Amino acid sequence: VSKVFGLALGILAAIGGFVDIGDLVFNTAAGATFGYELAWVIPIGVLGIIVYSEMCGRVAAVSGMAVFDAIRERVGFKAALGALVSSEVVNLMTLACEIGGVAIALQLLSGLPYRWLILIAVVAFVVIIWVTSFEWIERLFGYGGLCMLVFAVAAVKAGPDWAEVGKGFVPHIAQNDPALYLYFVIGLLGAAMTPYEVYFYSSGGVEEEWGPKDIGMNRANAIVGYGLGGTLSIALMIVGATVFLGHGISPEHLGTIALGSGDTLGKFGLLIALVGILFAVGGASIDTVFAGAYNLAQFCGWEWGRYRSPRGAPRFTLTWFVLLVLAMGIVMTGVDPVVLTEYAVIFSVVALPLTYLPILLVANDRAYMGRYGNGRLANVLGVIYLVVIMVVAVTAIPLLILTNTGQN
Amino acid sequence: VVLLAGCNGGTVDRHALTNDTATLDSIASDGALLAHNAARGKTTINFTREQAKALKIQASNFADALAKRSALASIKQRVRAKAKDASTLAAVLDRLQEDPSDREVATAAEQELSKLGGCP
Repeated sequence: VSKVFGLALGILAAIGGFVDIGDLVFNTAAGATFGYELAWVIPIGVLGIIVYSEMCGRVAAVSGMAVFDAIRERVGFKAALGALVSSEVVNLMTLACEIGGVAIALQLLSGLPYRWLILIAVVAFVVIIWVTSFEWIERLFGYGGLCMLVFAVAAVKAGPDWAEVGKGFVPHIAQNDPALYLYFVIGLLGAAMTPYEVYFYSSGGVEEEWGPKDIGMNRANAIVGYGLGGTLSIALMIVGATVFLGHGISPEHLGTIALGSGDTLGKFGLLIALVGILFAVGGASIDTVFAGAYNLAQFCGWEWGRYRSPRGAPRFTLTWFVLLVLAMGIVMTGVDPVVLTEYAVIFSVVALPLTYLPILLVANDRAYMGRYGNGRLANVLGVIYLVVIMVVAVTAIPLLILTNTGQN
Repeated sequence: VVLLAGCNGGTVDRHALTNDTATLDSIASDGALLAHNAARGKTTINFTREQAKALKIQASNFADALAKRSALASIKQRVRAKAKDASTLAAVLDRLQEDPSDREVATAAEQELSKLGGCP
């Protein structure tokens, strides 16, 4: 039974963390703009997050260090402060997007006013985090988010040309508007490898007191959890290509994405899609707010964790509360969560190297890791992805400007 | 709001007009798909109302921006014509928002929106 519960961490990270508003927006828009041509990016992003999540989970299990502990120890105070500031800014932007996404899903389900739903969502998050245990949060959002599988059903039922889908997995550069194509490549990679996922994942591992005996479970979590997330990303892209591309629709609303399921599966499919989006984006909100609180607490050396009572870790508790209030303030200004998502994903790409480099360094340090340090495969993949991440980080902002946030 | 609606600020040039036209076509096609599904009972009333409202607001923002922004003299007429198209689009979406459960309204909206969006 405990192994099943352990796997729930992976499912939560996959559905709530991997399939978040960034994945919803970029995967569907990529399908609606380029058909299946960008499918090859998804497995690359999924393998990247598997490699680094497995690594940081193993570090957490063996050394008891979460990602920001590693960052603080490994890159020095100034660089760690830079990483902290950039990660907190991106986390806050992402949190605002996710909260906005929750409010939109609730609005499409209930018809109630958007701003009231933002408030209701934030109050609900505070209550859930305050009174619910970590395990129950995992179960609630992890299993609720499984409704997102309706997009996989919709993708199959839409009857795509599977030969064309298969061709999409062969890496290539589109002849038509290469700058926009590269913008989507970066967006898809950024959405798949967004930093808060590893912050949450490794801190969750420390919270659950993983030890060396849990390394196998950690690997299964990373592979099954993120693999499932990747399958859903492909499904979203297929729905984008089959439903929206032919109609000339560029999906700029979460409701449009849900309609992709409704168009194929009817009213039931639409409702399940909305519930799935609600839980997936809600789970991602929890991941993100915890990630922000974990980072600050670990950087400052405070007591942290959901296994402590709020009084046992007061500054950690205050941090997640303040983050929720700040994010609510941002969404209340009326900023479009979908537009903000694009910026959050692209800016998160810029912060990626400072997140992943320290993980790679610590996972290779035998003083911490002993015989559980990186093997040859983990190192080869880790270095390849670090190079990819650096290239992507350097080109992200210029492409954002060049393509007018993907509008061209 | 204008910036976030993707309208850009300043003078409308050919490139901006092309982008805005593409976005308006997308909104119309999005609305047509919504109306198509509403007409066949494949959406809920709340969903149809709120989605139509979101699209209507987007179209209205474009209508306002295209009607007010300065434009190159060579394309001014086309810009103002697009502003009218955007207003028409917003009006059709408004009808769908006001009567989300009426399948006849949805069917009529689908036809108008398909025409506006140049749907295949």
